[in-house]
Amino acid sequence: MTQTYKEPAIEVEGLRKVYRSLVAVDDVSFVMSRGEAFGFLGPNGAGKSTVVKILTGLVAPTKGTIRILGKPVSNLEMRQRIGYLPELPTFHKWLRARDFLKFHGHLYGMRGMELEKRCREVLELVGLAGRDNQKLGTFSKGMMQRIGLAQAILNRPDLVLLDELVSGLDPVGQRDMRDLLRQLKSEGMSIFLNSHQLADVEALCDRVAIINEGHILKVGAPQSLFDEAPAFAVRTNPVTKELLHRLGSIALSVCQDQDDPCLLYVEVQKEEQAAEIAEVVHVCGSLLYGLAPHHRSLEQLFLRTIDASRHSDPVGSRLS
Amino acid sequence: MGLLYIMRFTLLEAIRRRLFLAVVILSILILTAFSILLSFVINASQVNNNNSNDAQLQLLGAGVIITLLAIWMVYLLSSTLTIVFTANMISGEVDAGTFAVIVPKPLTRVEIVLGKWLGFALIVCTYTALMFLSFLVVIYRQTGYWPVDALYALGMLELGMLALLGITTLGSSLVPTIVNGAIALMLFIGAPIASIVQYVVKFLNPSSLHTVQNITTVINLIIPTDALWHGATFYLLPPAVEFALMGLPQDFNSPFTSGQPVAPALLVWAVLYCIALPGLAALRFQHRDL
Repeated sequence: MTQTYKEPAIEVEGLRKVYRSLVAVDDVSFVMSRGEAFGFLGPNGAGKSTVVKILTGLVAPTKGTIRILGKPVSNLEMRQRIGYLPELPTFHKWLRARDFLKFHGHLYGMRGMELEKRCREVLELVGLAGRDNQKLGTFSKGMMQRIGLAQAILNRPDLVLLDELVSGLDPVGQRDMRDLLRQLKSEGMSIFLNSHQLADVEALCDRVAIINEGHILKVGAPQSLFDEAPAFAVRTNPVTKELLHRLGSIALSVCQDQDDPCLLYVEVQKEEQAAEIAEVVHVCGSLLYGLAPHHRSLEQLFLRTIDASRHSDPVGSRLS
Repeated sequence: MGLLYIMRFTLLEAIRRRLFLAVVILSILILTAFSILLSFVINASQVNNNNSNDAQLQLLGAGVIITLLAIWMVYLLSSTLTIVFTANMISGEVDAGTFAVIVPKPLTRVEIVLGKWLGFALIVCTYTALMFLSFLVVIYRQTGYWPVDALYALGMLELGMLALLGITTLGSSLVPTIVNGAIALMLFIGAPIASIVQYVVKFLNPSSLHTVQNITTVINLIIPTDALWHGATFYLLPPAVEFALMGLPQDFNSPFTSGQPVAPALLVWAVLYCIALPGLAALRFQHRDL
């Protein structure tokens, strides 16, 4: 895997999918670079799964162009270099883990000892070592997810598309999978992660696209994605009406923490205003115990973005 | 290559199903019961008929009738197996979601459909051939009768099964499993009605026979299984000159048997039918959202 970072792994231009009269995705465009971990984030029914299904050739787009690793979705040579794990995967339960992987390995064109060796490797990677003779029908939901990931990375793909990877996993399993994905990414694998689990995206992704009601709202690095004013957490005592009034006059907004009345969140136009905040506290006769930048979690930012899009666009006829 | 892996996978999957085991056990039981009953009946009839030439010919005549009945049972068993086994061929995988990890692999959807079709075709044809030959061997050992054109008869039966498989393959790519099974079953059961009506009209109202024959032809074009069964019965019979010797009726044209082979045009149509329907299924699946 010696590809250049900036070469596109996925290029999507003007993608639109209509199921009868329902618009699932509309005018979706984005580019994911090779070696990148790209998160596709959105609430249920946003159109995420439809996009992933189009990328994997399961669903045909109504309109738009898609290129995966520089090739159209139908290209078989390209498909040899990708892996895919669907959401809540269902496999043939009568198969044993090893036979399941061998079947998928054969479909990838893998043979003989190379395939045997790789099957053992991936079983170990996903934490299923020693389970090769166990039937899939006896696997738990989490184990199904793991064996699903094993088949997705069996062919050492350049690009792996994962749909809600950790949905069936316990916290330990989730951590293991995140660690594994970080390892795969460090080895150069491009990862497209479709999720509504913000923690996955925050922990792993270089860039994130937020999709809602079939439209991409924003694309960018998780922390720089949201165009938010800087904010400070100010711990002070006492919190007087005068203090709140004076802070309000220099800040965009001032909020008092619901659980801790001595903790204020002050949103300002620029970070340099930290000194002004300290000055106001001092002038009002309060004691300043702490003044630190306040980073909102991705979850808070995500929910604000989704809420904002809902208020600005009341379209309701879209699905996932 | 992907086609062969899908075919092999389909074979393995079918063999591991409980349904397959049930079919194998029941088929062995049916064959055993048939063998015992036939032996009992033949031995009982030979008590009164020593080893004279007439008795031998009568035994052969009985063998012909038994062959027709036994192979009719094979035809029904194989047809039922074909419908039950294959009605969920594509729709079942789509509903279960198992195609979601197979379709994105480096193989075409046509390979997936044709691989599955090929796997089921092998199962159905092997089962039909084994049952057909097993029954004929049992009958031969008891009565001494072996149809001269047994392999032609088997060919007709196999073609009928492939036609039925074509229907379920296409149906499975278009409609849910239960609907597909119901359609295939109704077509299969409905097809002989044309032959029955034609037979009745021949006696009651010969002037309408031409119209009825045209309707029968159309039905045979829609589902040629019954016509192919009639074709098979022709090849199960001995040469016409031996009918009288064996004490058989001269006319074997009935709603269930035929004294003539299948018309070459219909045979060509049946072959095309067996090829075209899976092809249409592959074409439909190619454009189906999963």
